[in-house]
This record gives sequence, structure tokens and C-alpha cells, in this order.
Amino acid sequence: MSAEDQAALRARDVTAGYGGDPVIRGVSVRAGKGQVVSVVGPNGSGKSTLLKALTGALRVTSGQVWVGSREVTNSAPEEIARAGVGYVPQVEDVFAPLTVRENLEMGGYLLDRHELPGRIEHVMTVFPRLATMVRRPAGKLSGGERKMLAMGRVLMLRPAVFLLDEPTANLAPAIARSLLTEHVRQLAEQGAAVLIVEQRARAVLEVSDLTYVMGGGELRMAGAPAELAASPEFVASFLGGRPGAGTAGPGMV
Amino acid sequence: MYYLIILLVYAAVDVIACLGLSQQFGVAGVTNFGFIIFQAAGAYVAAALALPPDTANGGFQLYIGGFSLPFPLPWLGAAAAGGLLALPFTFLVGRRLRGDFAAVGLLVTAVLLNLLVTNYRPLFNGDAGMAVVPAPLAHGMFVETSKGYQYAFAAGGIVVAGVVYWFVRRITESPYGRTLRAMRDNDKVADSLGKNLLALRTGVLVAGGAIAGLSGGILVSFIGVWSPPAWSYAETIVLFTAVIIGGAGNHLGAVLGAVLVPVGFEEVTRYISNGDQNLPPNLLPSLQWVAIGLLIAVFLWLRPQGVLPERKRVISAPDAAPGGPGGPGGGGIRPARAHHPARSRCEGPEILRASAVSREFGGVHAVAGVSLSIARGTLTGLIGPNGAGKSTLLSLLAGTDKVSSGQITYSGRDVTALPAYRRARSGLVRTFQLATEFKRLTVLENLLCAMPGNRGDSFLGAVAGRRCWRADEDLAIERAMTLIAEFGLTRHANDYAGDLSGGQRRLVEIMRALMAEPEMLLLDEPMAGVYPELARRIGTALRDLCQQGMTILMVEHELAIMDEFCDPVIVMADGAILAQGTMAELRDRSDVVEAYLVG
Amino acid sequence: MSLLLSSVGFGLITSAVLAIAAVGFTLQFAVTDVLNLAFAGVMTAGAFTAYLVNQAGYSVWVGLVAAMAAGSVLSALLNYLVYAPFQRRGAAPITLVIVSLGMALIIEFGIAAVAGGVGVSYRMGQGRTVRLGGLVLTTVQLTIMAISLVVMVGVHALLRYSRLGKAMRATAANRMLARTCGIRTGRVIAVTWAVTGALCGLAGTVFAIDVGSFDPTSTDIFLILILAAVFLGGPGNAYAAMLGALVIGLATEISAAYIQADYKYVVAFVILLAMLAVRPTGLLGTRT
Repeated sequence: MSAEDQAALRARDVTAGYGGDPVIRGVSVRAGKGQVVSVVGPNGSGKSTLLKALTGALRVTSGQVWVGSREVTNSAPEEIARAGVGYVPQVEDVFAPLTVRENLEMGGYLLDRHELPGRIEHVMTVFPRLATMVRRPAGKLSGGERKMLAMGRVLMLRPAVFLLDEPTANLAPAIARSLLTEHVRQLAEQGAAVLIVEQRARAVLEVSDLTYVMGGGELRMAGAPAELAASPEFVASFLGGRPGAGTAGPGMV
Repeated sequence: MYYLIILLVYAAVDVIACLGLSQQFGVAGVTNFGFIIFQAAGAYVAAALALPPDTANGGFQLYIGGFSLPFPLPWLGAAAAGGLLALPFTFLVGRRLRGDFAAVGLLVTAVLLNLLVTNYRPLFNGDAGMAVVPAPLAHGMFVETSKGYQYAFAAGGIVVAGVVYWFVRRITESPYGRTLRAMRDNDKVADSLGKNLLALRTGVLVAGGAIAGLSGGILVSFIGVWSPPAWSYAETIVLFTAVIIGGAGNHLGAVLGAVLVPVGFEEVTRYISNGDQNLPPNLLPSLQWVAIGLLIAVFLWLRPQGVLPERKRVISAPDAAPGGPGGPGGGGIRPARAHHPARSRCEGPEILRASAVSREFGGVHAVAGVSLSIARGTLTGLIGPNGAGKSTLLSLLAGTDKVSSGQITYSGRDVTALPAYRRARSGLVRTFQLATEFKRLTVLENLLCAMPGNRGDSFLGAVAGRRCWRADEDLAIERAMTLIAEFGLTRHANDYAGDLSGGQRRLVEIMRALMAEPEMLLLDEPMAGVYPELARRIGTALRDLCQQGMTILMVEHELAIMDEFCDPVIVMADGAILAQGTMAELRDRSDVVEAYLVG
Repeated sequence: MSLLLSSVGFGLITSAVLAIAAVGFTLQFAVTDVLNLAFAGVMTAGAFTAYLVNQAGYSVWVGLVAAMAAGSVLSALLNYLVYAPFQRRGAAPITLVIVSLGMALIIEFGIAAVAGGVGVSYRMGQGRTVRLGGLVLTTVQLTIMAISLVVMVGVHALLRYSRLGKAMRATAANRMLARTCGIRTGRVIAVTWAVTGALCGLAGTVFAIDVGSFDPTSTDIFLILILAAVFLGGPGNAYAAMLGALVIGLATEISAAYIQADYKYVVAFVILLAMLAVRPTGLLGTRT
């Protein structure tokens, strides 16, 4: 578990949904500084809903969310962003009509004017491909470029917490792998807490410090990635088939 | 006394107009900001039909027509004119245009037609309009200025208003009216259930236009003048205010609104202003308009449903609905095919085939060259990671989205070019991933809507009346109640579908699709958000249906369900089909495991 | 030839006035999601504010600045008191359109109740006559065109180079994403009402200067031209609105010269309906 008592991001017993029945029930997660924490699980297990609840895009009907020592349960999304949370949604992750540079400027909206060029410079060194297309509208980028722009946009503010919603979806495997092993890992190494949601679990497990498995809107398992990956219940939680899947395993929740 | 008569006639005219608007806006959800031009057109035609040729009056007014036709031909002509005028505008409210954009288009039409008429003298006598329009029957047995004649006219107007009320009610309370309300709540879903939106909206515009035209004809033959400035677009807003205040979707509300707003409010203050000479001439009429604007905003804020809200249609089952003892999952759901004798002719092992089907969104292939064949009577599962293209493929098969390339064959017939509602009518019915119930229809009504072959589900059938469609309706209610009982929702049959829980709404959607008597069902995550026990019950019901001859293709991510009920299961990844087999076989294939775990 | 040239001259002036209004309208729609049919009413309010200032003895150009302030305040109030509460409640777009029509009535006829229904004019000279090639224009007309040009450049600069303008575009493109960037979109929207309201007041006044005599309902028809310009280019796109204004302005005035002056609006009408039917997203596609 987290080395520090004071997690960068902490959610306790979060229940949330889209107005009808709750989609996620009683979910607790935490991510410490410098950690990559992954949430995996099959389609419809509630992973994206969890992230939306954490960013304030969705109402939390019960439970609490803290960023550092500040409680942000049901704060407005812009206030949660100001508290130091950067969010990369799964789709519609960039401002399509704005240019690459303008997208980055929007990412750095809260920075002082004189800080902007330096930060943009920095993002360009992290994602060198973006430097070659600063004036192109984001809507005309390829899938991989687009995702890098979305990550770069969030990077602008140096957030304490990154929330990444299936960043590798629709990316070619090689690009997906480099995104995870280079960039996501790097974010954590620079001191941020990264909470990453992935459906394609194996690759993200390799870069995670801690992994939660979700199913049916609830946490099913939690633990060290290597341990989880070795357990038959883990595969079963994705493809089903073995009776008792999700009822036993390392680090049961 | 004369004042009272005028009020009565105006009331009759406004009531008729508001009923037409209530039908369009409240029932069918078509926001016709150009409503007034249909009234104006009716009035003009009534005047032109009743007047003698314009050469007879020494040329002081010009117009087309002048047929000196006897009553009631001018009124009938007025209704016909209003209806015909609607036809060219149906393209605005068809399939593709956002409702508010269409409303803007109609508003613009109203303003500009008024401008055109005002400025073009030979056609409509320009700004001056027309005067000395003969009153009905005036030259025969009555003298038109006599008190008796005036009362008779008012009584006649009220009778016509009564007939129009009877007419719109007959339409609204028919299966056709229910379809209109379904379209109002969610047009895309209505489309997928086999409702032709363009035809429905055309019908609504034409019927409303005819009613508006009739009201104009009555008005012009009473006041004897037709003048363009009286038909400004703002008059449409008055009628809208009346319908909103009275209660959109409730025709009694429209009558009440007509009496409250155009008559009570406007006409009465108009007479007050005529009485007081000390006020500036423009002040009171201006303040009236301000008040109308305030009324709209205040009512939409405080009581958007109006004084008399749309009432809930509670339907009691014809006889005690069967299916009680079997209880949920009793397995008695049968795919009834009584209405489709033609379908069973082309029985073959294969019901649906897709050949190299692709769909591109701005350079990205969401579905890339998928070929599949679905055998009759199977419950086929479709699984795959997020973004694999499952939902898109389902849309292509159902016709709610168009293929970029490839071919789709259904029951041996090429349906690639057929729109969704035509495919639905030939037995290929889909459901949607997000809850898509018709919110302001009850559970029972949601189901009834989907029943094909109801004779009351057409304009003419609705006009013909209950006698024509009662048998169909009773049959539909019986089937619906049986289904509702099978799925354990009998208690909620007469609740608004929008008030149910998420899981219950999924059930409504599945039941509704079953009511459409499909040969083949395309289900998009029917068990999403449903608790496991209910999901299994749905699965059992679906398997029973397939054993009785139905074919189902189902996108679902709850793999336990796939294990238990689906054979075969198709795996998609990156827009293409990766594998096909039983769940057990698939689980042993490393490429499938990799697709899920690695991608 | 001189007929064509003079109608082109008129067309350019109409386009100039129209462009200010259309850009204001379309930005309002793009950022705030309100199809504000009370726009013409706010124009009238601006024009009458300028009239009051003009009557008090100041130049109409001073009045023009006052009109911008009035349009700005009135639009911000409309949003704060009416549209924003309805939107917070999740009202359907069509409900907001109907509410905006109600607001249009309140503003227009509220002015009519105070000002009376008669036409009024500014006290101002038309300036010297200037010949440019074959075009004959007054200095006032040239000033209107210059103002319009400045506004277009200003809007371009706002949208492309200022922090606020970019935040406006980001809000229009994806409101939730903008919020997760820390942008307080509620404020951006409020400011957008103020800015587009100022454009609206400006447009109302130059419209009144251009037509000479105006009354509280004069802008009704002009709203139709605005809608035509906005939908021709593509709703929500400022550059499309500029293009639409140019096309509609020229088309109406040139057709007025060759067909009959009274039918010039019919051309705009036909263009608009054809666009709505064939390509609802407009010439330049969707929002910027």
C-alpha cells in the first residue's frame, strides 16, 4: 500500500451514477505521490464512472474524495482542477477546433502569462512530436498524437494527481506501450500520483505500483500487480468462466 | 351585447387555432413558429373564394380568385389551403434538422411571407389587404347586421370549435396519437421502431395547417377584412403562450389557454384601451405584448406543464391479464407473428449476413471489413474490448447508421440501402445502449407503441375512430400485459417509463422490442446496470425466445451471461472480427485473451 | 454598370452592419448554447440608448459607445436573470428559444411603450460624398464600414490571441473539458454575454444610422438577415458568420437593384431555407 499516510488522492466509499441507480458502489481507492496506480476491469465495470466522480463531472451520492488534505467531494470540476488534479478523458480529450499550441495554453490556463512559454517548451521536450505541429488543429491529429496532446495539455499545470482514462484505447500496440512505459512512468517519477484506468490490463500492470480490479461497479481485488497477474482469478475477472471468480484472491477487498 | 358576440367569435377562432397548435407542439413536439401563416392563408383563400371577381368592384382591390362561392365552401377552402401550404415546409421538420433550427426556419418563413404579401399588390392587394368579404349566407335568409344573425354566427363558430376539439382528441387518443407522443419524446427511437418520422411530421403539419386555415376562414368571414399586419409572427407567440399556459399536450388546456390569453387577456384589454382616451395610443397594446413575454417566461419557469398538465393515460387490461401464475421467467413469451405471414416463406439456415461491412468516421475505421453470418434461431453474443466497434456494427446492421462500404443481407434480401424504420418493419429490430424509453408514456404505452399492424396507428385509422382499431388495440394490450407480467412489472404498467429505475427501464426497452414482433433482435447491452439476478432472468427469457424461433444478436460485457446463454459468441477487436465460438473455446484462445488483456 | 456598382456599395454597407450583428449572435450561440432570438430586441435597446444620448446633445458617436454599454449590460442581465437559471435547470434548447422570443417581446414592446411607436432619427449630418472608383459613398457610410472592419479584426484578435478569446473557444468546443482545465466556464459565459451584447448594441446603432429612421420593431426583419448570415456560414463559427454576412448583404442589395426593392429579403430567405434543408451545418461546417 501507499508508503505515505497522506495520499495525494484518496476516495472513500464512493457511490455515484448518472441519476438513476448508482453505477459504482462503495469504491475506495488511494494513490500516493510517485505512484502509478491502475484500475482495471472489463467493459462496464465502472472504471470511467469512478474517474468522472473523482473529477467532479459526476455527482457523488455518498462517500468522500480528498486531494492531499483538501476534501473535494462534489466540488465543481474547475475547482478540483485548481486543487491539482489533471484529467485526460477517454474520448473528446482535446479541444478539436483549437490548435495544438492553443490546447496547451488552455491546459496552462491557470499559469501566469510569463510561465506559459516555458511550460509549453517543457511539454514539447516530453512529447517531441507535438513540436512539429504546433499550429495544426487538434481535430486533425492522429490517434496517438492526439493522446499525447491530451497528456501534454494536462502536464502544463504540473498537477499533483493525474487521472488517465484508458489512454491507450485505439492506439497501435507499440505506441500504447511506449506511452505507458515512458510517459506514464515518468509522470510518477517526477513526483505525481497517477491513477490510470485501463481495460487492457497486462501492459498497464507492468508499470503499476498498485492495482485495483473492478467488476460490476465494485472493487473486486486489489494488490501488487505481479501477484494479481499470476492469479487465475485475475484472468477470470475479465473473461469469466471459473466459478468463484472474484471471490478469492490476493488482497481481496 | 355586440361586444359579447365578438368575444364569442374570437374565442371560437382562437380555440380552434390553439387546438391545432396544441396538436403540433404539445402532442407531436413540432415547434411551428410559422403557425400564423397557415391561419392567414386560410383567411385569404376564404376571402378570395367568397368575394366576387375583383373586376366587379371597380378595381379598388386586387386579388386572385373571386368566385362568389356560397357558404360553406370558403371555409372548406380555407382548411384545404392551410393544409396544402404545409407541404412545402415538411422538409424543414423532416429527419435531419435539429428541432430548434427547424423552428427558426419556420419563424423566418412566417416573417418573410408576411413581408412578401405586404409588398406584392396584384396577388394579395398588398398592405391594404382585402375588405368587404361577404359573410356566410348573408344574402339569403339573414341580414348580416341583425342581432339574430350575429348570435347564429357565434353559435356556428362554437360548434365548429367543438367539432375540431372532437377531431384532435380523436387523433390524440388513438394509437396514432400515441406514436406522435413517442416521436416527441425520442424521435430516433421511434424511427428504429418502424415509425416514419417524415410521414408523421408531414401529417402533423398538414392537419395543424388545415385547422389553422379553418380558423382564419371563420375569422375573415366574420370581420369581413383581411389585412397582412394582423398576421405578424408575434401572433404566433400569443398562441404559443396560450398553449403553454393551458398545458401543452392537453387539448382541454389549449381551450382554456385560448380563452385566457388571446381572448380574455388580449381582447379585453384592447377594449379597455379603446375606452380610455387619455392614454397614449400605443401604450396599452405595447404593454400587452410585454405582458405576453412575461407570461411565457414566468409560466415556463414556475409551471412548465401548464394549468392543465398532460394527463396520464391509464389503461386497464381488457380482461384480467394472463401470465400471473407463471411469474417472472415463466417462459411463456412467444414471438407472435400473426401479422407477418409473408416472412416465414423464406426460411433458411441463415437470417442475416454482412459482407465486408465498413464504417469510417473522419478517417478512422470504427468497423473495418466485417463479414458475418447469423443462423436463424441462435442467441449470438458479440463481445470485445471498448472501442472494438460493437455498437457501431449493431447500428449498421439495424440501419440507424449508414455503411461506408459493404453489403447487408437480411432474410435473403439486400437491405443495405433501407432506412432503419423499413428494416424494423421487415422484422429486424434493435435496442439502444443508453436508456431510450419514451419518458412521458406509461410502461404499457411504451409497449403498445411498438406493436406493428395496429389499424389505429395511421392518420386515417385514427380518424376512422375506435371502432376501427379497438380489436387491434385490445390484442396489443393483452400481449403487452402478458409480457409485462412475464418480466414482473405488472405493478408499474401504468407508471410513466421515465419514473422507473434504471434496471426497470432496460426491461421496458427489451419488452418494447419484443412487442415489435421481431424475427431478429439486435440488443445493445441489455443487461447494463441490471442486478445479476434480473440479468439471468432476462437471459433465460431471451433463450426461450430463440428456442421458439427468434434470432438474437446481443452485445454484452457480462461474460457470465455469455457463458450461460450465448452460442456462438463473436469477438471483435479494433473494428474487425477476431474469433467466433463458444465462450469456453474462446477462453482457450490466446489471441482472445490477449485482445482483452493486452489489446 | 453604375446600377451594379451602386448596389454593390449598398450591399457592402449592409454587409458591414450585418457582420457586426451576425458575429455577435453566432459567438453568443457557440459559447452559451442559447439561440437568442431577443438579439434584435437588444439591438433596438442599443439604438434607442444612442438616441437618448444624441437627444441630450451629444454626438451620435458618443451615443454609439453608450449603446455598446447598454447592450452589454442588458445581455448580461438576460443571461444572469433568465437564460442561466433555465439552463441550470436543464431546460431543452427549444424551451430556451421560446423563452428568448418572450424576452424579445418584453424588450421591443417595453421600448415601444416608453418611446411610442413612431419612427425617430439621430441628429447628425451624412458627411461629404466620396467617390471611390464607381462607388459613391458618404463619409458616414465609410465610417460604418471602417467600424465593421475594426470589429472583425478585433474579434479575430480576441479569438486567436487573447486568453479570454481562447477560453471562449475552448468553452464552445467542449465545456466539460474546459472546466477540467480549471477554466471557470460560468464566468467565461457571463463575459461572453457582455462582449457579444456590446457588439449587439453597436450593431443596433449603426443599423439605425444606416436606415435613417427607426422604430422599436425595425430590427425584426434585420433579425432574419442575421439568422440567414449565421446559418449560411454555419452556426457557431465567427468566420462563417462574416462570410455569410458578406454574401447575404451583397445578395439582398444587388437583387434589390435588379428585381424589386421590396423582395430583397426574399433572396436571403431562399438562401437560408435552402441551407437549412441541404446542409444544416453551413458552408464552413460546425463550431469554431
